[in-house]
Amino acid sequence: MESLSSLLDGFGTALTPLNLLWAAVGVLLGTAIGVLPGIGPAMAVALLLPVTYGLDPIGAFIMFAGIYYGGMFGGSTTSILLNTPGESAAVVTAIEGNPMAKSGRGSQALAAAAIGHFAGGMIGTILLVALAPTVASLAVDIGAPDYFAIMVLAFIAVTSVLGSSRVRGFAALLIGLTIGLVGLDQMTGQQRLTFGSLQLSDGIDVVIVAVGLFAIGEALWVAAQAHRTAGESIPVGQPWLGGSDLRRTWKPWLRGPAIGFPFGAIPAGGAEIPTFLSYVTEKRLSRHKNEFGKGAIEGVAGPESAASASAAGTLVSLLTLGLPTTAVAAVMLAAFQQYGIQPGPLLFEREPDLVWGLIASLFVGMVLLLVLNLPMAPVWAKLLRVPRPYLYAGILFFAAVGAYAVGGEAIDMVILLIIGVLGLMMRRFGLPVLPAIIGVILGPNAEQQLRRALQISDGSVTGLVNTPFAVTVYVVIAVLLAWPWLRRLAGGRGRSPEGRGGPGGDGGDGGPGGGDSTGGDGGDDGVQDKEDAKV
Amino acid sequence: MSTESTDSASESREAPEAATRPPAPGSWRERLRGRSELGVSVLLLLVGVLVLSDTFTMETVADQRGPVGPRTVPIVVGVSLLVVAVVLAVDVLRGGRGESDQGEKAGSEPADWRTVALLAGIFLAAAVLIEPLGFPVTGALLFWGSAYALGSRNFSRDPLIAAVLSMATFAAFNTLLGVPLPGGPLMGVL
Amino acid sequence: MRQRTLLSLLGATLLVLIGPPLITTGSGAETGTNIPGLQFMVPNTPGGGYDITARTAAKDAEDAGLNHNVEVFNLPGAGGTVGLTRLVNERGNGKLAMSMGLGVVGAVRTNDSPSTLADATPIARTVEEPNIVVVSKDSKYKTFEQLLADWKKKPGSLPVGGGSSAGGPDHLAPMLMARDAGIEPKSVNYVPFDGGGELLASVLGGKVAFGISGISEYRDQIESGELRLLAVTGKERIDGFDAPTLKEAGMDVEFTNWRGIMAPPGLPEAQRAKLIHFFDELHRSPQWRKSLKRNGWDDAYLTGEKYRRFLEAQDKRVQSVLKEVGK
Repeated sequence: MESLSSLLDGFGTALTPLNLLWAAVGVLLGTAIGVLPGIGPAMAVALLLPVTYGLDPIGAFIMFAGIYYGGMFGGSTTSILLNTPGESAAVVTAIEGNPMAKSGRGSQALAAAAIGHFAGGMIGTILLVALAPTVASLAVDIGAPDYFAIMVLAFIAVTSVLGSSRVRGFAALLIGLTIGLVGLDQMTGQQRLTFGSLQLSDGIDVVIVAVGLFAIGEALWVAAQAHRTAGESIPVGQPWLGGSDLRRTWKPWLRGPAIGFPFGAIPAGGAEIPTFLSYVTEKRLSRHKNEFGKGAIEGVAGPESAASASAAGTLVSLLTLGLPTTAVAAVMLAAFQQYGIQPGPLLFEREPDLVWGLIASLFVGMVLLLVLNLPMAPVWAKLLRVPRPYLYAGILFFAAVGAYAVGGEAIDMVILLIIGVLGLMMRRFGLPVLPAIIGVILGPNAEQQLRRALQISDGSVTGLVNTPFAVTVYVVIAVLLAWPWLRRLAGGRGRSPEGRGGPGGDGGDGGPGGGDSTGGDGGDDGVQDKEDAKV
Repeated sequence: MSTESTDSASESREAPEAATRPPAPGSWRERLRGRSELGVSVLLLLVGVLVLSDTFTMETVADQRGPVGPRTVPIVVGVSLLVVAVVLAVDVLRGGRGESDQGEKAGSEPADWRTVALLAGIFLAAAVLIEPLGFPVTGALLFWGSAYALGSRNFSRDPLIAAVLSMATFAAFNTLLGVPLPGGPLMGVL
Repeated sequence: MRQRTLLSLLGATLLVLIGPPLITTGSGAETGTNIPGLQFMVPNTPGGGYDITARTAAKDAEDAGLNHNVEVFNLPGAGGTVGLTRLVNERGNGKLAMSMGLGVVGAVRTNDSPSTLADATPIARTVEEPNIVVVSKDSKYKTFEQLLADWKKKPGSLPVGGGSSAGGPDHLAPMLMARDAGIEPKSVNYVPFDGGGELLASVLGGKVAFGISGISEYRDQIESGELRLLAVTGKERIDGFDAPTLKEAGMDVEFTNWRGIMAPPGLPEAQRAKLIHFFDELHRSPQWRKSLKRNGWDDAYLTGEKYRRFLEAQDKRVQSVLKEVGK
């Protein structure tokens, strides 16, 4: 309860007019920057670092936290409305959010995202207050073999977003994995697929890939159909969430933090993996599975909540251990050091005003974001009324700015364009884009953790399964994979049609692919059967 | 890559016809479109070969521990690319189709490849011109050019919108964020 | 209609051409230390070590009235060699300086960079920082001697974690230690992490036998008792910590990480002298003194010819280590 009184003191700090102002400036700037494609929260915080030199540390960090949370939020707006995620964590939101916008439910998607963001952030921050030291010490116990096990699980989960044609889904995944290979090998520093170019040796930034495949790819795709759709404008629709929407979204809002928060606390690559896992979970648990891919509101609510909660989880490790688990956290760590403050085990004792003021300002920022963005949802949705040429010219413009401003190298714009053309080609030939992005994110992560685990165990393969955590995850995977057979043994029958994937393109579905896919769908069937039984 | 470009070139040639007349199912064009998906297969095959050849020409280093080295993952990815390329080719030949973004059969809709090529060209030109002409000029040209390519023809409004947007972005980055973008030929003259 | 189009075009052209010079703050005239249009290039991402040194230097120079406006920009890539290549291409540009350090020396060698530091003009070494050997509080190693004895016996099963890739500071330090201890360099089990932050989790959780990193990143964790400091790689002990230097622990190894400033090649002598003078004045300013203290950096100021010879020696050391591990 000591933390509760400290938190109240924190509110005393956060609610002074000046600090409230910084929080508001932070969330506004963050939202604005998050909306632009190609400039994610990490870049935003890093760029604004010098701006805050004049502020006192508490004011500066309240503003940073606002930028971080606001940036995570802003990314989803364009994701939903224009299918152009502003940053990589908002990619998943586009999958269901954009179809919703196209069918005139853009405001609902934005509202579901805003409330999901609020709920996730609130729950995450409450967990931060209540559990910070515990979570932090648990996070430290998770090592390379455990991360690798999680990555394997995530790869299994990919099989449920491959789309109607598994072979095309796999093709997209492999394209992503290939892009992920580019660059110096993380363990030995050898060049892979760089063709001797130093520019490529750090690999292709996942933000460039996300913006290229989605934003540029989408703009070119729209251009390819320009003459056909020129006159049509997208319906904006009714502004508020109806009762049936609320019934479908409240559970995903609450489930999101369960996935996002722990992932934020561990160094597993940021908010991309938890948002994706949340999406897969919602898809599996939903009663409206057939709507997924065509605008299921659960697929917006869950991932947004998870993304926001993961930001809170990130702060747990940063504040209690001085351990940056994401790029944003690394920049914030540097910012702390700029003020002569060292985040770590002693921070709560040494700088109680700052820490609790910062935590309280997270609550304040979250409320500000909701208050600002919920009424804004219908206004944002009107963005769709901007004439198409301006809209997509603007997307190309800002994508170019984002790519160029990061390094000041024109070559980054060329890489962006090449990936954009790839995105257009994928749209044209029916390769799903999501598996490609997942491949870019998961591939390098999984390889690094696998090889690090083997390095630590001095080359012994047992090093992959020598922790209880990893063993547990593998058992879960085994059960998921074996589920269809287990059910068959128990005499269960009747695969639901949705579980099988669409009718198209299954002709060439080979043995290994089929095996994976049944694994991915096993859980679906179980739930589906229960639903059927009820009906 | 080369197959891709020839493929899209052939598309652009037939684009005007396609726009005027919806393709009849089972016609020669339909079969050609089915075959155009084989281009994806060839592309995957080429990428697979590229990945594998890059991997096998990689120098070896000594300090690898365990069965997984810098070559393992590229080999797995490369071989999988070859397998998927073959499986996809078989699928296409059997009449399988990818489903495009809007849930339509891939390649069944007429496409305007001229606009796409124009947009890509404008973007590429912007990448080339940004250093000599500076960001505000290039950004404005990129915006106006893209809007023009996408069908906007308001000559008294478009250039102004483009210039104001580009200039405002330049100002925001330069003064607010402290990210220096190239200013153009008049920097240092005035 | 046509007239309006013309007017609009004219207005747009004027705006984008004349706007930029008008809103860019003037950089003042060329006086004692002021170099109008001076730019600092940072060859890694915002928030990294070179970034913080460059931005701190830029701000302190402005505060101390040495310069009106120093622009800092990032050009990350390949451990700093992308930035170095750009620097070398800016031949004769006396208004550009690159923040760099020991990591770039290693990256030039491991990446087979076409441009090396010998192609650029050395200006000054600014700060240095000793590396440390740390273990988790639950580790069985209480002293450096115990760790060393075990390490010599079975180097393969004692993974060493470091925050830099091969050739970087955290890799060089354990390799130099291994060489002195008679451990076959190839049998050292070095596990690279993406910076000291990512390494921290693995040291705290005991995933690696010991970690090598800079002191500033781990000061707090050591003070709170989460980490145990076993040894310091620098010449002297660190104030407030009861841990021996490697020399005191019986090893003939001394190692410090450092950062410095390079300029493009082909500078006329006057311009080179002017840049060095700029950093001389910065080094002398109270603002810089304060920044050193706040960031926990050790002053290691060295300029011109002396700095060039230092760079050469560092390059040889790096190459000898990399050769031993077969790179």
